[in-house]
Amino acid sequence: MNWPDLSMGGYGFYVWGSYLFSLIAIVWELVSLNHRKKAQSRAQKTVSPGILRGTTNETTS
Amino acid sequence: MFYPLAGKMIPWFAWPAGILFALGIFVGFFIAPTDFQQGDAYRIIFIHVPASWLAMFLYVLMALYAGVGWAFNARLASMMASSLSITGAMFTFLSLVTGAFWGKPTWGTWWVWDARMTSTLILLFLYIGFISLQSSIDDARRADRAGAVLALVGVINVPIIYFSVQWWNTLHQGATIRILQKPTIHGSMLWAMLIMLAACWLYSVAVVLIRLRCIILEREQNAHSFAEVAV
Repeated sequence: MNWPDLSMGGYGFYVWGSYLFSLIAIVWELVSLNHRKKAQSRAQKTVSPGILRGTTNETTS
Repeated sequence: MFYPLAGKMIPWFAWPAGILFALGIFVGFFIAPTDFQQGDAYRIIFIHVPASWLAMFLYVLMALYAGVGWAFNARLASMMASSLSITGAMFTFLSLVTGAFWGKPTWGTWWVWDARMTSTLILLFLYIGFISLQSSIDDARRADRAGAVLALVGVINVPIIYFSVQWWNTLHQGATIRILQKPTIHGSMLWAMLIMLAACWLYSVAVVLIRLRCIILEREQNAHSFAEVAV
């Protein structure tokens, strides 16, 4: 096992920058999805629960 | 019927994705050796290559679902295409950004109008076009049809991206891993890349299923609201 040099041999900005950017993108996707789910569940309270069991034709065609 | 099943499937993809991300990072940073030419800068490939592969693969999958939804009026397939588009766009964007982070230390530039990079940028525009087109049309069925046409026309760009390094003289390096040939990189580097690819794939499935459940509910609610107004 090699302990990585945090400076990445002088390329630290590029290596850590790319991973940090990837992390931000993934977190952004998860947070936005969570917001969408919350908004959905708030709106869902006003709608019949029957649609969740697939009893309507909207999603089954 | 699909909605509860999708809900049960999500943890089976999400948890392994998290574990494999951690394992991939461990192998990539603690096991894989330093490259003799690029030094540690090459470690960007552990996120750049999986992101690039998924950007292309998710587009093909999106076009396939959109095409099936259009041809057979299968709404679930169309909703799956909508769900795939955002994750695909995110991976394409990541591919371009991490590529730029890799390009600067190895080529001396963040960006060049190279065939591989330009065609990947076009892929991002296709994703954005698909998402914009779908969200700009109120009628879900019309939006699905319009999106399907764009997705199917745009699929021609995927082989162009893949073969661009062979067809044109590009700054971007050629494929290191080919299905029928022995890989030219160190075993631990290859393993780190494959583990990260599996992690990204499992993450994509989990996220796409979560979003698909939201889309199903949104469309059901819209249909329900419309029915109430009509009554």
